[in-house]
Amino acid sequence: MPGSLAFYHPTTLEDAIGLLGEHGDEAKVVAGATALTILMRQRLVAPSALVSLGSIPGLDRIEEVDGSLRIGAMVRHRDVELSQIVRARIPVLAETFGKVANVRVRNAATVGGVLAESDYASDPPAVFVALDAEVEVRGPNGERTIPARDFFVAFYETALEPDEIVTGIVVPVPAAGSGTSYHKFVTRSSEDRPCVGVAALVRLAPDGSAADLRVAVGAAAETPQRFPDYEALGRGHVLSDDIVGRVADAYAGAIDTLDDMRGSAWYRTEMVRVWVRRAIESARDAAASGPAAH
Amino acid sequence: MRYLVTLQVNRTSYPVELEVGRTLLSVLRGELGLTGSKEGCDDSECGACMVLIDGRPVNSCSYLALQAAGRQITTVEGLASGTKLHPLQQAFLEHGAVQCGFCTPGMLISATALLAANPDPTEDEIRAGLSGNLCRCTGYVGIVAAVRSAAAELANAD
Repeated sequence: MPGSLAFYHPTTLEDAIGLLGEHGDEAKVVAGATALTILMRQRLVAPSALVSLGSIPGLDRIEEVDGSLRIGAMVRHRDVELSQIVRARIPVLAETFGKVANVRVRNAATVGGVLAESDYASDPPAVFVALDAEVEVRGPNGERTIPARDFFVAFYETALEPDEIVTGIVVPVPAAGSGTSYHKFVTRSSEDRPCVGVAALVRLAPDGSAADLRVAVGAAAETPQRFPDYEALGRGHVLSDDIVGRVADAYAGAIDTLDDMRGSAWYRTEMVRVWVRRAIESARDAAASGPAAH
Repeated sequence: MRYLVTLQVNRTSYPVELEVGRTLLSVLRGELGLTGSKEGCDDSECGACMVLIDGRPVNSCSYLALQAAGRQITTVEGLASGTKLHPLQQAFLEHGAVQCGFCTPGMLISATALLAANPDPTEDEIRAGLSGNLCRCTGYVGIVAAVRSAAAELANAD
């Protein structure tokens, strides 16, 4: 690791943003550093400055605000997994964070980190996209929010400017009558990153048809994949095997799947077909089993 | 650039001067001479480097030493009291839970965190609690038995 590397631990966001402005692309933010340390060791990144967020107060809270949960950037994966309020209000989020890697990683890795890293094979991004979450970002010109679906731009690339910092994410609590699911399909070990991960939300109308259907597929392409046109195939319909199959086929046909050691492109396409179907079925069944199954 | 920090390891203060990119594992083993924590995969997969930070298990291979400043670090060296082994260490010996020994420090730290959170775990809970600590020798049976036995021992001691 280069000997010129500098380490900063600012105590305010303003100072942190100023340091990023000063160092530009040469600076990296340290949150949990679970990914950064590995990327540095593999020489995939070689920053000249590290800006730690660890001394900035107020970034590690989970709170309910206006029907949404706001989760601070420095909240650790394990804290989301075990949070009483997350479990009660958006259980799929707690479940998903509990499926990331192993407990040792979850004790260090942060919510802001998994967002800013934009690793295609992380679990939480697909769930955030399915839940219409909004990423809170702070830069020299103040705050802005970016919808999760626009935040992930490409492999390890986000909509963040070089001097912007993720401060948190706001996740709307699903409306009454909704069911949610996240299916993580792994091909190697139980703690591996997913080959394909599918998040779904179904809200049932009183007549049993789907008033809302949302599906986001993670790990299959560079960014989480969501197709409102294909979600519309299910909306307004009873989610029969036939309708669910059509949505799953449409997603399998639309995603330009990638090839890696967890599965070939062809295999991923077939797994998208299978797991989109299962994720919708799980969300549908959760919605049907009552309000407790939010 | 080098920075002077004080690391609190096993209730002892260690002032050290460090390059920024150094991992906690490399500093524990290098400057501090605490070679109980092992470098296995160096990629957050195997658990051999596991330590407790403020009581929570983390991989020291993917944790910056500078991040650990001001936190309480516990390594496997911090488990025994003088020459008296921790009940988990004693149970690992008695149940043949150690073969080559490379995974053992991580297993012991993992089990310590597990029993702190759940003093009377079922076998399934032990297996889940140790998942991600990879052992390539013993096949885990002895390790699980040792943790069960230590849990009982600790409960009796209370």
